[in-house]
Amino acid sequence: MTTLPVGDFLALASGLVAISIFGILTRRNFILLLIALEIGMNAAILSFVYFAAFPQCVTAATCHPLTGQAIAVVVIGLAATEVAVGLAIVLALHRIRGTTNVAEANSLHL
Amino acid sequence: MLASLFGWAFLVPLLPALAFIVIGLFGPRLRRLEYGGWIAVGAAFVSMVLAVLIALGEMASPDTYTSLSYTWLSLPANPTFPYGFSLVIGTLVDPLSSLMLIVVTVVGFLVLLYSIGYMHHEHGLPRYYAELSLFLTAMIGLVLSNNLLEFFLFWELVGVCSYFLIGFFYEKPSAASAAKEAFLITRIGDILFLLGIFIFFYVYASDGPAGLHWASSGFLFAYGNVPFLAGSLGANTPLLTIAGLCILAGAAGKSAQFPLHVWLPDAMEGPTTVSALIHAATMVAAGVYLLAMTSIFLGFTPTDQLAIVAIGGFTTLFAATMAVVNTDIKRVIAYSTISQLGYMVLAVGAGFAMVGLYHLFTHAFFKALLFLAAGSVIHAIGTQDLFKMGGLKRHLRVTGAAFAIGGLALAGIPPFAGFWSKDDILSSVYSVTGSHPDYWPFLLMAMAAVFLTGYYIFRVWFLTFSGDRTRDPTLPTPHEGPWVMQVPLIILSGFAIGAGLLIFIPGFANLFLLPGGVTALGIPPTYGTTDILLSALGVALGGGGILTAWALWGNGRIFRLPEESVWNSARTVLVNRYYFKVAYDAVGARAVYSVARAADFVDQFVIDGTVRGIEQLFSRISDRMRRIQSGVVSDYAAYVVGGLLAVFVLLLLAGPYLVNRIGGG
Repeated sequence: MTTLPVGDFLALASGLVAISIFGILTRRNFILLLIALEIGMNAAILSFVYFAAFPQCVTAATCHPLTGQAIAVVVIGLAATEVAVGLAIVLALHRIRGTTNVAEANSLHL
Repeated sequence: MLASLFGWAFLVPLLPALAFIVIGLFGPRLRRLEYGGWIAVGAAFVSMVLAVLIALGEMASPDTYTSLSYTWLSLPANPTFPYGFSLVIGTLVDPLSSLMLIVVTVVGFLVLLYSIGYMHHEHGLPRYYAELSLFLTAMIGLVLSNNLLEFFLFWELVGVCSYFLIGFFYEKPSAASAAKEAFLITRIGDILFLLGIFIFFYVYASDGPAGLHWASSGFLFAYGNVPFLAGSLGANTPLLTIAGLCILAGAAGKSAQFPLHVWLPDAMEGPTTVSALIHAATMVAAGVYLLAMTSIFLGFTPTDQLAIVAIGGFTTLFAATMAVVNTDIKRVIAYSTISQLGYMVLAVGAGFAMVGLYHLFTHAFFKALLFLAAGSVIHAIGTQDLFKMGGLKRHLRVTGAAFAIGGLALAGIPPFAGFWSKDDILSSVYSVTGSHPDYWPFLLMAMAAVFLTGYYIFRVWFLTFSGDRTRDPTLPTPHEGPWVMQVPLIILSGFAIGAGLLIFIPGFANLFLLPGGVTALGIPPTYGTTDILLSALGVALGGGGILTAWALWGNGRIFRLPEESVWNSARTVLVNRYYFKVAYDAVGARAVYSVARAADFVDQFVIDGTVRGIEQLFSRISDRMRRIQSGVVSDYAAYVVGGLLAVFVLLLLAGPYLVNRIGGG
């Protein structure tokens, strides 16, 4: 196992989160918004993976290398589920409003 | 034997009260009974018979004071009233009240009878007869009341009935306004009257004959045959002076004395019969009656007496000057009433309460006669403007004669009624000017008014009845009214001729006895040398007034003042009633109204403004906050990101502290 500096990894993860936030806040297309969301989730998963590779041994659970990996797998599944739901929403929105512009869906009564 | 009737005195006001209820409930259905008119006349007739019988009983057994009371409130002793406090309602039959009973019931009956004919063509007759019956009830109750508070109660009721009756033609704005004005101005007097009553109650909380205390006995006027508070007065204490002035204010309001006189001429908006009953014979006499009762049973301090004499004397001349130029037949008679009431007030103030009431007695008859005669003229010709009348004595003989008799009585020409009483007042007041030299100016004012009285009343007679002026051709041909209108005129003319002479009958003079059987000063009038000279002077002044009126207005002459003369500007001042109404309007409408408007401004902009401001504040806050829910998903995401950042910053700042607390490395 090589030891990469924590700072670099966290910088990568932060960069991805920043990109994700930027995308969520500014993208008008719903699908691009979901992609940005996905990038953010991937940043989180990456962080979990890193800390699984270089465990910080504070408590017994954090010393075990599988903790981070387990969480990463669960979150990948979670992300996939969430994207599925998001795509369903997009399809429904497109059916009713005829657009995928996020700003168009501004009312509960579509 | 008749004295046994005294216990039934409460029936006298009760019968018109029943008439009021019956007419009020069933009036509109009684078309054949003149919509309740004959019921009212019947009740008034029975009351009159009963009242005359009571008066005859009082004349036969003079100095009998029968007081029946029912105590309706009784409180135990307390610091202000050391022997307790009770309120009673009851009747007092004494010479004074019997005298007033005659006046009220006789004039009331005659006026009601006259109304049958006069008001025949009007609308709202049940209301009219009901209100008149209620008025009669209240006035009789006032006269028969045996304690000060009950007096005040009926006083107020009389004022209310006056409001109703002045505003009888309520669709006319001027009538409604006149009714309101009358009520408000008498109200000012009433409030001060009530204050005076309270001061008297407070001062005499424990006074009275041994064992009987005024407060715990119910503030009665008389105890047996003597006043309850005999001999307590005379001291010029400030509190009693104020109380007396307050009573004077109440009387001035009700009797239209200066400065509360402005409502009476405007009250002529009511029907003429109402003016005859209320504003000539009875209600306005209540003020004088109050002054007489207070002077006999409670007493006035010397300062108060001077004030009363001043107001009375001044008003006599003041009102007479305004009567001289007026062009409305009823308003001239109204000013005449104010002026004659001034005479009565003058007499009571000088200490001659019974002489004042003697004049009240005669005045009631001839003033009612004048008003009813004027009503007959109005009924015949349809206008009240003096300059549209003329030459009516050919068509209205009975009315013309009646008005002339009333005018002669008013001007004080012997042997008509007014001469005896007015002369008695003048010589009585003259007789005390030695010890009260400050009464002189007011006596002189009263004498000057005698000349003006003769002048103005005969100016009216000549303008109305004599001459051959062409009248307004659109007015109907005048003719006399029906018998129900002529009979009261004839009866009242008889009284106007003979009422003054009644005083010389010893039995009748018993009605003027003071408590304890004391003969009142000036009753019956005595005629020493100075008295005869004064009488001659009075007759000369009155006759001079009549001759002046004949010279200026008789035989169809019309007297016009030259345009530029100083008299014309004086005349303008008089016609405008010395601008009193303008002044009162300025005070009331401008000054008081400005205060009201300022208060309204504070209420609307300061208080309501604060409330509305708070509402606006919350409204705007919520408006802004509502925009958080924009519906745009990106915004929500932004809020989430913002929250996240806040949490990061917090953790950054609080990190070391939390690590220390949670422990571990």
